[in-house]
Parts: sequence; C-alpha cells; structure tokens
Amino acid sequence: MAFFLALFVCGAAGDSDAAEPPKVDLQVGKAAYQRYCARCHGVLGAGDGVDAKRFYPRPRDLTLGIYKFRSTVSGTPPTDEDIYHILAEGLPGTNMPDWKHLSEETRWQLVYYLKSLSPAFNENPPQPVEVAADPGPKHADIKKGRALYEQLGCAACHGSSGRANGSSAAGLVDDWGLPIRSADLTQGWSYRGGANPRSVMLRFLTGIDGTGMPSYSGAISPEDAWHLAYYVETLQEKANWNLIAHPMAVEGPLPTTVEDPRWDSVRRTDIRLRHVVDNNGTWVSAPTVKALVLQSMYNKETIAFRLTWNDPTEDAVETVDSVALLLKTPQSQGDMLSLQTWPYDGSPVLDICLWSAKTKEAVEAVAAGFKAVGTAAVRSQRESQAEYKDGQWRLVIQRPIEPPASERASALSQKGLTAIGFAVWDGAYSSTRAVSPWVELDLRNNVKSDE
Amino acid sequence: MKRLQFAALIGMGLILVGAGIARQPEAQAEGSATIKGSIHFSGTAPTREPVKMNADPVCQQQHSSPVLSEEAAVVGPEGELKNVFVHVKSGASPAASAPTQPVTLDQNGCWYTPHVFGIQANQPLEIVNSDATLHNVNAKPTTNQPFNIAQPVKGMKTTKKFTKPEIMVKFKCNVHPWMSAYAGVVNHPYFAVSDEQGAFSITGLPAGTYELEAWHEKFGTQTQTLTVAEGETKQTEWSFRAQ
Repeated sequence: MAFFLALFVCGAAGDSDAAEPPKVDLQVGKAAYQRYCARCHGVLGAGDGVDAKRFYPRPRDLTLGIYKFRSTVSGTPPTDEDIYHILAEGLPGTNMPDWKHLSEETRWQLVYYLKSLSPAFNENPPQPVEVAADPGPKHADIKKGRALYEQLGCAACHGSSGRANGSSAAGLVDDWGLPIRSADLTQGWSYRGGANPRSVMLRFLTGIDGTGMPSYSGAISPEDAWHLAYYVETLQEKANWNLIAHPMAVEGPLPTTVEDPRWDSVRRTDIRLRHVVDNNGTWVSAPTVKALVLQSMYNKETIAFRLTWNDPTEDAVETVDSVALLLKTPQSQGDMLSLQTWPYDGSPVLDICLWSAKTKEAVEAVAAGFKAVGTAAVRSQRESQAEYKDGQWRLVIQRPIEPPASERASALSQKGLTAIGFAVWDGAYSSTRAVSPWVELDLRNNVKSDE
Repeated sequence: MKRLQFAALIGMGLILVGAGIARQPEAQAEGSATIKGSIHFSGTAPTREPVKMNADPVCQQQHSSPVLSEEAAVVGPEGELKNVFVHVKSGASPAASAPTQPVTLDQNGCWYTPHVFGIQANQPLEIVNSDATLHNVNAKPTTNQPFNIAQPVKGMKTTKKFTKPEIMVKFKCNVHPWMSAYAGVVNHPYFAVSDEQGAFSITGLPAGTYELEAWHEKFGTQTQTLTVAEGETKQTEWSFRAQ
C-alpha cells in the first residue's frame, strides 16, 4: 500500500516509469555516485564536496538521511520513489540539476547507494502521508485556501503576500546552523520542491525536514491541503525570463512615478540575480533578493526604467537598500567582464547610476567600483521615485539616451543593442550584493507591448 | 467548523487524561529508598537578558513584564541551580511498561513549560499550544525519530512518543527562535528535575547501587555513584561551574 501511494505521488508528478526498478547493485551505484555526485555531496556523502561551500543552499549531507522533499511523514525517510524523483527532476532554484541523461537503471542504483549512506533508512521505515485526491483547478476552493493561509500562520514566515517577509523570516537557520530563508511564494520558479499544486500540497503535509517548515499533517485535512496549494499557486507571478529587453517607444513625456498606469502595458523582463560570493567562496547570509523585473519606456531623448524587486525588509537608515544600473563605457565594451567578479584590481570603469533608499536619490559616475561613486565626480542627479510596500521595492528612474558629451557618460544605442547590468543590495545584509548578467536593451524596434 | 473539531478533540483529550489518572495510580516504582539532592552553581552566572518578542504581537501581549532569556541557567541568590535533569544512569532495571498518563509540554506565552522535563520511553508526550499563534514543534532527537509539526491553532494538542532512551531531546520553535525545551527520555521512573531551590528528589528506588547522572544544558554532565538500602533517604550534593 505504501509503495502504491508513493508510486502514485511520483507518477502523477509526470515522472512515470513503468519499468520495474532494477536489482540492487551497490557497486554500480557507488561508481555512479563517485562520478556524478561526489564533487558536491562529498566522497563519503557528508555534503562537503569541493564546491560545497559556494552553494546556497548547501549540497545535502546524505549521511544524516534528512531529506527535505518527500511524500512521507515528518521525521521519516523518503521513499525510493521520492529520491528517484529528485534525481530525475533536480531541485529548482538550487545547483542540483536533473539527471535525466542517466539511464533509469543508473538512477535507481544511485537511489540504492544514497540510502546505504545513512542508517536512517534502516531505523525508521518511510511512512507516506495521507493525501487526498486532486480536486483540480476547477473544484479547488481558492477562497478557502486564502483563509487557511491566514489561519495556519503561513504569513509568520512567508508574509501575507507571500514575499518571504514574515516577522519570523529573518534569522531562520537550518539543522546545520546555516542561515536560510523561507520561500518567496510569489517566485514559483524558486520553490525547490516544485511549484505545482501537488508538490506544494505535499510540502504542507510532510514539512521540509531540516528546516523550520513544519508538517501540517494533523493540523490540516488532506483535502484542505489542496485548497491551500491552489491558493499558493495564485500567488506565483509568471516570470518572463529574458536577456534581451525591448523598451516601449512612446511619444511625449515619460512616466515619473511607479504608479503610472502606463507601466501596466509595458512588457516585463525578469532577470535572475545571484549573490556575489566572498573572497573565501562562501556566502554569509541566505540570498534575499533573487530576481529583478525590468520595464522600460523611451522617447527621443530619455529612457525611463521601472525596476521591481522583492526585498523582505525596508532598510533606509543605517545599512541601506540600494540598486545600481550599470552600463559599459567605450573602454569596457566586449564580453570580458562578469558582474560577479567586478570590480577587481585594475578592472575597467563602468557607468554607474546608484540609487539609495536612504537619500531616495540616484547619483551617477563613471567609476572603477561601487564605493568610488561616492567620491568620483558625480554627474547630475537623475529623476527618480521609489516606493516600498509589503516586501517589494519599485523604483522609476530616468536617464538621457545620449547624455551630453561633457558628462562623459555612456550612451544607449538606438541602432544596436546596449548592455545593461544591475546590482542590488539588501541593507539587512549589506556585506554582499546580488548582481545580474548583462542584459541587452533593444531600442530599435518600437515594440509597444505584449497585448 | 475547524474550531469546533479542535474543541471536541481537546474535550476528548481531557476525558482520556482524566480517565488515565483515575484508573491508574502508575505504581511503577518498586522500592522505598529515596535520593535527594542539592545542586549549586559556583562562579558568575550568565546574565539573563529580556527576550525581544516584538516579532509576534500575540507573544508580546501575553507578558506584562519582559521574559528573561537564558532559562538554561537559572541561578538563585545562593547559587541554587534550576533545570538540572537528574536520572539513574545505571543500576536500575527497565520498567516493564511505560506509563499511559502523558507528560505535557505546553506552549504558553510563546514559552515552553516546562523547559526541562523527564519522560519514559514509550510514554505519551502531549504537546499543547495555549497560544493564539502558530508554533512549530521541531524536535531534534538523534536516537529517536525526529519530527517538526505545526500547531497553528490555540488549544491544539498532538501526542508523540519517543521509543528509545535519549539524553537529551531538544525542542525548538522556528517561528519564535527564543523558545527551547529539553526532554530526558529514560526507560524507568527514576528521574527528577531540580527546582528553584536547586533541589530534586528521586523516590521509590529499590535497595541497590546506582550511578546518577545530572545534566545541565549549559554546564555539562556529572555523575555520582551511591548505594541505598530499602527505606533509606540519602542526600547528595552537586556543584556545577561555568565551562
């Protein structure tokens, strides 16, 4: 029965394997482990591979038998199918890739080998949680799900709008004492265990072992878990990932406020941000700012950007939230610099527009580092307006397309692509910043909007 | 509807507990010897700071004056040390069966009561949420099966068991990171927790030689071996210092 349930869970997640799992051969599993897994998870499985400390989240310590994403009761090990599912699908938002290119046989042998690394699998058998039938989107009660979200205290960590800005979200640590964050539920792509209602429903019922996320089994009926899951699905914003952005051409004045209704008709470009790791290759805090939404409009002289990013706390006094727009200069064209490593000794200058939540102003300078913006000859302050609301910053900022030559600032091309980059600081963790890849702005083909 | 269900559950729970008490005097202890103890701390006790509960208004509203942290090291004016778990480590035979009457761990005012307690293996542990806010009960045993369960509603009760002896099992709440509690799981009834006078008493011991272990969250463990005769009461002295 347990096996059937687990298989059902796995199968319904779109990972159906009709073939029988092969016979256990730990030598085959071990060889595959050493080849594919040890680099991150460590030779003996203790989660201490050579690359481990750079990663957020860390690779799993497989010797403890604590698995986050299961279909089983809190504190019991995962089923074989749960582990197989992780190998087949990977863990979104982490460095754990999917291993679809390995044969099913190899994946199963890996499952058996991983289980042999921890005594937990012998001590407690996996106990699948009781799940109810999927009501489907048509019969899911979103209203009830929303009420449950409030009643069950989800907002304590995930925030009332789901932006991971609950009052208990800061300071969370995992079982290994490392800082972690609750999931930003508006960013479905960041849910490690999958963002579909079935995965989310299972997370409620099983909890996420090793973290603060408890099991709601017993506190919530299996049917209600579905309603809650379908409600959480409504919190997810659809991201439009792209490394080319198409600003919208308009006649006349550009918007100067974040609330300007014209922004609603401008296509969003979602850009992934990654924390800069420190010189030791380790991260000191769990990333809070993970993505940025870029929207832009331009007329003949000026371009206006609206930047939107989730940051759990408004920090505007001592260590402050801030964002930088970065353009290459004539000396720094080409593809040689990644913002992950910039600035470095002798690095080329960039055209930096730095906005701070403390001053609510943007200053610009051509400089060889962010700190230098304060001391470099600062050019005219740019028009900007910002608003912080419920875990989210929105900022509108304007800039001339072709600044006067006297400013020695970078111009945006109207004939080709112009690379723009972003760096975002969460003042609560100001020792590090999140940076984007270079995104190409295309001002050539007056795309109005999606609609 | 949900609340009604919970109320019904609580009601049933009370009846069951009541029945348990009435039916079963739990005559587990087999002898008549007693070991008493007096536990002192020498040195400078850690300063107890007020806990900042402003992250959760429900917690804050329940306390008219600030709660002090470091319940781990409650030291009286004469060095009396509270919250030391003392148990017979060796010399006692395992109880034939565990008590059916549960031990209660309450979450009240965003605080665990008691902070340190003993429980027998397979004895029910009733975890209660007396607060109108979400608590998660994150139990971190290493020998027993861990669990992390949500108790989002006031009055909610969950019953758990630890099946194997383990010194100690830690409980924490991730929503309110200042909350922690410890359970000593043993397979006999010979255990006690020191009170505010630093005193404890283990009763009902059969005559024999026992190794006693005293565990403190911050100051480590100590052992003493002593022999008691039937009907005898022996006084022990324990002294902890900062590690």
